[in-house]
Amino acid sequence: MLEIINCQIEAKTWRITLPDIDVKKGELLVITGPSGIGKSTLLHWLLGNIPQHVAIKGQIMLSGINITHLAIEQRRVGLLMQDVYLFPHLNVQDNICFALPKNPQRSSKKQRRAAAMNMLEQINLAHLGTRYPQNLSGGERSRVGLIRALANQPQVMLLDEPFAALDPRTREQMGAWAFQQLTEQNIPSVMVSHDVEDIPASAKRLCLADYYQASEQK
Amino acid sequence: MMPTARIRRIALLSGWLLVSLISLLPILGIVVGLWPAEHITFADIEAFLGYQGLSASVFMTLFSALFSTLISLYIAFMVYSQYHLNRRLQSFEKYLAPLLSLPHLAIALGLVFLFSDGSVFFVDSGLPRKGLSTLIIAIVIKEVPFFLLIFSAIGRQLPIKYWLLQGQALGYQEYRCWWFLVFPALLKQSRLALLAATAYTLSVVDVSLLVGPNIPELFAVSVYRWQTSFGVGEQALAFWANVLLLILLAVSVLILYGHEKLAHAGCKALATKGSRFYIGSINPVFKAWLPMLALLTAMMVLVFALWSFGFNWHSDSFAFTQLTTRLWQDEWLFFALPLQNSLLIGLFSGLLGVAFALLALELQRQKGKYWPDYYWLLAIILPQLSMVLGWQILHIWSQGGYHSGWIVLSHLPFTFAYAYLVLKGPFQSVEPRYELLAASFGYSPWQSWWQVRFRLLLPAIFTAFAIAFSVSIAQYIPTLMLGAGRVTTITTEAVAIGSGSQQDLIALYVLLQSILPFMAFFVAALLARRFRGSMGRQDARNY
Repeated sequence: MLEIINCQIEAKTWRITLPDIDVKKGELLVITGPSGIGKSTLLHWLLGNIPQHVAIKGQIMLSGINITHLAIEQRRVGLLMQDVYLFPHLNVQDNICFALPKNPQRSSKKQRRAAAMNMLEQINLAHLGTRYPQNLSGGERSRVGLIRALANQPQVMLLDEPFAALDPRTREQMGAWAFQQLTEQNIPSVMVSHDVEDIPASAKRLCLADYYQASEQK
Repeated sequence: MMPTARIRRIALLSGWLLVSLISLLPILGIVVGLWPAEHITFADIEAFLGYQGLSASVFMTLFSALFSTLISLYIAFMVYSQYHLNRRLQSFEKYLAPLLSLPHLAIALGLVFLFSDGSVFFVDSGLPRKGLSTLIIAIVIKEVPFFLLIFSAIGRQLPIKYWLLQGQALGYQEYRCWWFLVFPALLKQSRLALLAATAYTLSVVDVSLLVGPNIPELFAVSVYRWQTSFGVGEQALAFWANVLLLILLAVSVLILYGHEKLAHAGCKALATKGSRFYIGSINPVFKAWLPMLALLTAMMVLVFALWSFGFNWHSDSFAFTQLTTRLWQDEWLFFALPLQNSLLIGLFSGLLGVAFALLALELQRQKGKYWPDYYWLLAIILPQLSMVLGWQILHIWSQGGYHSGWIVLSHLPFTFAYAYLVLKGPFQSVEPRYELLAASFGYSPWQSWWQVRFRLLLPAIFTAFAIAFSVSIAQYIPTLMLGAGRVTTITTEAVAIGSGSQQDLIALYVLLQSILPFMAFFVAALLARRFRGSMGRQDARNY
């Protein structure tokens, strides 16, 4: 479970004081609000990428452990952005290999590639294994991006407007598929979205505008 | 009256003809230079291959070229990985071009003045005055800022920040992400820069002559010596040596390509293996590189200045009050003409280089297709010695006499290539809709180009000019071979004096050679600031 405690975002002219939030396993929290209010900033703070243009205070607890001051690579946080940034020098299979955690059952390159192919087969994308990212469609890229993020067995998934670049039809399909995967794997997720249509009915919502306060001029 | 369309077509055709001619001058030089004279036969190969010390000389040359290039590449990458995402360190980026402006010769002699036996810092046991290590260190010091400039141009087009974020989110330390994810992309796109750095070291004469080893001398020095000898035997040696120089370049291309494939495979193998163990921070050491380089440059210029004003390091009785301008007064008559020549040649070849680079870019933009970079950068990726030999033959054949105009022409392919390299990125990133908007206000294509595109490019144009000017100032072989010693510049004089033992005189000429590019960068920076005007900086979010 992800918990956000005593969180306050403070800029020069405004401040947002959030209530304590928890996102249980398999649950989705959607952060909404107008442009520039700090949705992505909050998401990047959860990721561990400390924003420089505003100050954020608070605690992040993941499965009962305080991860507020951990480096990004130590948090086990999955990240899916509008552009999924598949690494262009690695094919789809190797992009997933890159994400797979190291363990004794998957120590050789062959075993890791087999594991990656297995993941692709489960979602009927095995045919993309040897393709390079530049040869994939937008929808395929998003799917591979999510599978790559899941391959790392994250404890929480962060989604920053992940489907905004897709056409409406692919967007709908991709959204349904992605949330199904996250629910099935029992991963708590936090998504930033501009578009109400992207938000599943079962999701929790957090509208930052509700907690917005203009700062007193000093 | 001629219809406008026809005039436009003729102008376009002439433009293409001009830029093609300039970019193909290096090929022309190599073809003419390697066109065998009647007296040259295959039998001469035996004499050439039997030349004493040839294999050692060739091996040393190839080693120094590849080693210095690859070491510079890795150092530059580690320096870049430190400051790419760091705002405070990024401010050093604007000093890269001035740091790059210090000529190779000045850096090499600066090292000798500061760190060789009997120098400022070492009484004995310093760097050798003439040796492979001094040459390699000088080249590395010069090439690291060059690669940094190339990386920052490439880096602007890559989503490095997001690759690193993704990599870190998947559990990898930032340091590893740089190697696994960014390095392969940068390496692939730095091919031409690697080749340019290698080709330079393969055929550099002035630096090799002054700080390179003596026995055996570096191959470029032998080639130059044979080229400038009149004996039939030497001419045959020069011919085959030039053939070998091209073969060395081809071998270097293969080795660099092999290195790229190997590095790529290595990074890929490690990336897919999934090892996430923490290996500590090594890179922060490289944070200090640029400040140290700035300090070293300042120290070099200072030590040249002090020597030229009569400061003798090893005199016990010396005091700063004894500094004198005597040497400057005595030498003024001798360096006034070379200085004037350097300035004029640098000014004209720099201006023409920038103008033709802009023309080449604009013509390609209008055609809607950019030609591969290697076509425009031939002058810096082919061995200079071989191409200049061809130009010299053509020059003698044309009986054009010896004047600065020929020298400007011989510098032009180099100033053009560097100006093109600097201008291409900014030129392509000018938002085309600005010109569209100007057209909607009724401006003709030429007016909107001049008043919008040119104005937006002005800061980059000033930097390109400063770099082209510095390139011209540092040219030795073209100036010497086409000027036949009758057109002297500060660089030709510095090399001539540098092989002597008058330390104060050497310092004076190298100081002049170093100051000229600095002046150009200083003026360019002032002008760029003036014209950047109200464009301002964007205060973007920084995640």
